[in-house]
Amino acid sequence: MGRTPDTSLKRKRPDPKSTSQTLSDAERVLYNLIRSKEDMGIWTRDMKRETNLQDNVVTKSLKSLLAKNLIKEVVNIQNKGKKHYMAVEFEPSKELTGGAWYVDGNLDTEFIKILKDQCLKHIYKLKVATIEMISESIRRSGLCKVECTTQQISEIVRALVLDNDVMEVRSTETGDFASIPLGTVCYRCSSKIGPGGTSKVGAMASIPCGVCPRINECTPDGIISPRTCVYFNKWLDF
Amino acid sequence: MATQYSIKLAISLISSHFGDLVAKVCECLLRKGSLTLADITRFTELPQAQVKNCLLVLIQHNCVQAFSIQIEGGVGAAPKVITQYTAIFDNILHRMRFPKFLTIVSEELDKECEEILEGLFQHGRLTLEQIILRAVSNQNEGNSTVQDAVRESFVRIVSSHYVERCPASEPFLAPPDEEENPTKKRAKSARLAEEIETLEKRAISAAAPLESERFAVITDTGTDVKSGDRSGSRFLDTAIGEKRKHEALEMDRETMATICEKEVLWRANFEAFIRRLRHKACVANVRARMDDGACTVLNAMLEATRNAESRIKTENSVPLSMDAILAEVMKSEGGRSMTVERVRAALGQLGCRSSPRGAEDSHSVDLRNIIEIAQNDEMESIVLKRYGRDAYRIFRLLSKTGRLVETDKISDITFVDKKEAPKILYNLWKDNYLHMEKLTSQGSKQSDFLLWKVNRSSLWKQILDEMCHAALNLSQRLAYEFEQEHEILQLPREKRVGAQGKRFERIRKVKVILESSLMKLDDAIMLFHDF
Ligand code: SF4
Repeated sequence: MGRTPDTSLKRKRPDPKSTSQTLSDAERVLYNLIRSKEDMGIWTRDMKRETNLQDNVVTKSLKSLLAKNLIKEVVNIQNKGKKHYMAVEFEPSKELTGGAWYVDGNLDTEFIKILKDQCLKHIYKLKVATIEMISESIRRSGLCKVECTTQQISEIVRALVLDNDVMEVRSTETGDFASIPLGTVCYRCSSKIGPGGTSKVGAMASIPCGVCPRINECTPDGIISPRTCVYFNKWLDF
Repeated sequence: MATQYSIKLAISLISSHFGDLVAKVCECLLRKGSLTLADITRFTELPQAQVKNCLLVLIQHNCVQAFSIQIEGGVGAAPKVITQYTAIFDNILHRMRFPKFLTIVSEELDKECEEILEGLFQHGRLTLEQIILRAVSNQNEGNSTVQDAVRESFVRIVSSHYVERCPASEPFLAPPDEEENPTKKRAKSARLAEEIETLEKRAISAAAPLESERFAVITDTGTDVKSGDRSGSRFLDTAIGEKRKHEALEMDRETMATICEKEVLWRANFEAFIRRLRHKACVANVRARMDDGACTVLNAMLEATRNAESRIKTENSVPLSMDAILAEVMKSEGGRSMTVERVRAALGQLGCRSSPRGAEDSHSVDLRNIIEIAQNDEMESIVLKRYGRDAYRIFRLLSKTGRLVETDKISDITFVDKKEAPKILYNLWKDNYLHMEKLTSQGSKQSDFLLWKVNRSSLWKQILDEMCHAALNLSQRLAYEFEQEHEILQLPREKRVGAQGKRFERIRKVKVILESSLMKLDDAIMLFHDF
């Protein structure tokens, strides 16, 4: 699984002198503009607006710059239809790619799921753990083929907290917390059953009306009413 | 406050308990606020005598409070005093909680007390004499020993504050002072609006008995209420624990006791029950989130101060010293094995604040916070069911943060795809769950940012209304099922076979599931409305 490193400037800068000689005026104008946008790149429509070049000139120049391997096309997460170009020496910014968790403009849900499961397993095993402990535990297990930074683990755990699979607690320095200094933020699995256990469903959410899309149209003597309600019929069908 | 469907739910309760006429009068008061008898007659188009009877029923059952106020008498006429009636919304909804209240008493006190309470629920208000008569006729025997046992139970249930004296039947509300701050017109009109809103509240608080009298009971021990005879020596028993001092006082107290038994009206004290249920909800929530230790300590703290809370929605538990907490913890089964250190740790878990009251260390728990967490749980589980897991994560993030958060940031933190997040946010916003703000940045390129946050107060209100709607639906469906299977339910045991047996089994299950769902839903309604 390829993680895009955050550091840019990976590739060698082509020698600007040698290139400038072979460029036409229009190409040079465009190239300079694109390069000036650094890791943000620029959208074709914006190029036309900023350079006042003809449509066909822009298209032709772009083609030529691409062929000369001076610029590249990049995906913009915000709008995939918009053609974005960037000088080859830059790596697309977080705004364009969506950040470390995106691959080719899509959220890498597969990878996230694997990491989530791993974190959950390790937290369950450790009973209570700090981010560092979880990170360390995962690293030592060697199960995860990809190196993960502590920062990434912490983002994953934060999502697990939002999923209510994991709870944020503070160490009391007793029992399971014995080895963790008082007051340190730790994590533990929410449901007492362990990973995969479902949490308690609320009173409202466990009856048909609680999740009913028609509740606003439902009246005692209306066409939709609790007497004739199909959701109720299904619920009470023993 | 009272939302559309909460009013409908209240009316349906009244209608099923007292019939449609009473419900009509009650509806009129719930929708229009305080009214005079003439107003009600006009609005309901019922004969005045009937309206009067309906009001009497509602007053008897503590659903309506009467009060008198002075109004301007028109040109040249003297101001006059009129009587108005106001519905007590909360007390009406409490009617669906009677089984819960009875359970509390049967668990904490005993069967006899439960029977007294049951009588009060049936009749609304009773004198001690009536309560005794009722007990005697239930048991078919009634010498003064039996009657004294009832008196004893009565004193017990009053001193636990589950029963109280009835409020004054028609307090007079003094007119508000006109001459205050004539220059500040705006402030005044604002105050006026507040006054109109709280007229009902003022009436209720004016009618309430003095705190010192509210639970004062003097029983006439040894007297037979049926014949008026006294058997054996006469004792006077007081719940306020005063001792007789002088012979001279004897006569007075005797008369007082007689008056107390024959004339003072008693009723269930809903406030005490709701407070109790609130405490239980807090303890249950802590048990689910923390460990047994924290739960034991919280329970002990609430137990020790149960009669010291003055309002239902107290923010913090009554402050207690470490020693008092330890003493109470020791009393409970699970607490006996707890060390001081463990108790201290539990207090820490509970986020206990030591309040700076005097030199003594005193601790109190933020109950409001626990209730809010419980409300969030309920709310979030609705979001999960209605909008799915991604929305659930987003909602939890926004609900926890409590501030405006930008779309991209939300999508990053919750791992919801950047293309999906705006759609989910939009759906939640459309259904009133979220509040949205647009921010336009004037950078190199003008761009819009959308910021979101949970619309807490309006959302809470909307959900409460939906819960009442759902409760109404559950009870209507239950009534409908009973109506449909009326004959099946009447079947004697030996005929419940074959197809009919199956139908009987089904309706039995339907009853169980609908009733238990309704009770659980009512817990949630209390959580959002009463706690
Ligand atoms: S009764 Fe049926 S239609 Fe009406 S709100 Fe409930 S589930 Fe929806």
